[in-house]
Amino acid sequence: MNENRRKILEMLATGQISADEAERLITALEQGQPGAASSGSEPRPKPKYVRVLVEDNGQGRAAKVNVRVPMQLLRAGVKLAGLIPDHARAHVNEALREKGIPFDLSQIKPENLEEVIDQLADLTVDVADRDATVRVFCE
Amino acid sequence: MIPITSTIRIRTGRDGFPIWIPLFIVWLLLLPVVLLLLPFAFVACLAVRVNPFRAFSVFWHIISGLRGTDVRVEDGACSVLVHIPRSFV
Repeated sequence: MNENRRKILEMLATGQISADEAERLITALEQGQPGAASSGSEPRPKPKYVRVLVEDNGQGRAAKVNVRVPMQLLRAGVKLAGLIPDHARAHVNEALREKGIPFDLSQIKPENLEEVIDQLADLTVDVADRDATVRVFCE
Repeated sequence: MIPITSTIRIRTGRDGFPIWIPLFIVWLLLLPVVLLLLPFAFVACLAVRVNPFRAFSVFWHIISGLRGTDVRVEDGACSVLVHIPRSFV
């Protein structure tokens, strides 16, 4: 709690100001703070790319990879999954299940991807190995 | 919109050469082949019970989605770069 807010609450507690006045003062105080008006209210820009970085850990064993994939391509890929014929999809689902990934391809929908993309804005996957470090993030 | 140009750069040791590929020429060259294959693709889609118009739309989106792709791989002295710009330049 900052000093000004504490003073306002003290004034309210001692009866120098009413609750409405205190609320107005606190609101004015928040609006006067830098960045307060935009805190959490402005929508974040949607990520446009998925970046995959593979960096060598100084051992010289791993290749350096820097891949930037547009989100549009991922969206198109999801639509492509919707084109897989039913019998082929059953084979793919079965193969995935055998590999320990119980996943139904028919459940992938473009609207699901939008939710994933929204969440990916905050997500960074870092995998550190003895030879290389892999980073996956959105930008 | 589909990608218009692409750049590929291959470097082996000290030698490296960038290749600028005018994809719009590639598309133009492929257009007659695509038109020729279109009826077969249409029938193939119907045979596997896939809406052909939806299939063409998806492939169009995939090609369009390639804009902005950037792949760089370096291994020792060798490196490969593939870049498809978002805009013409």
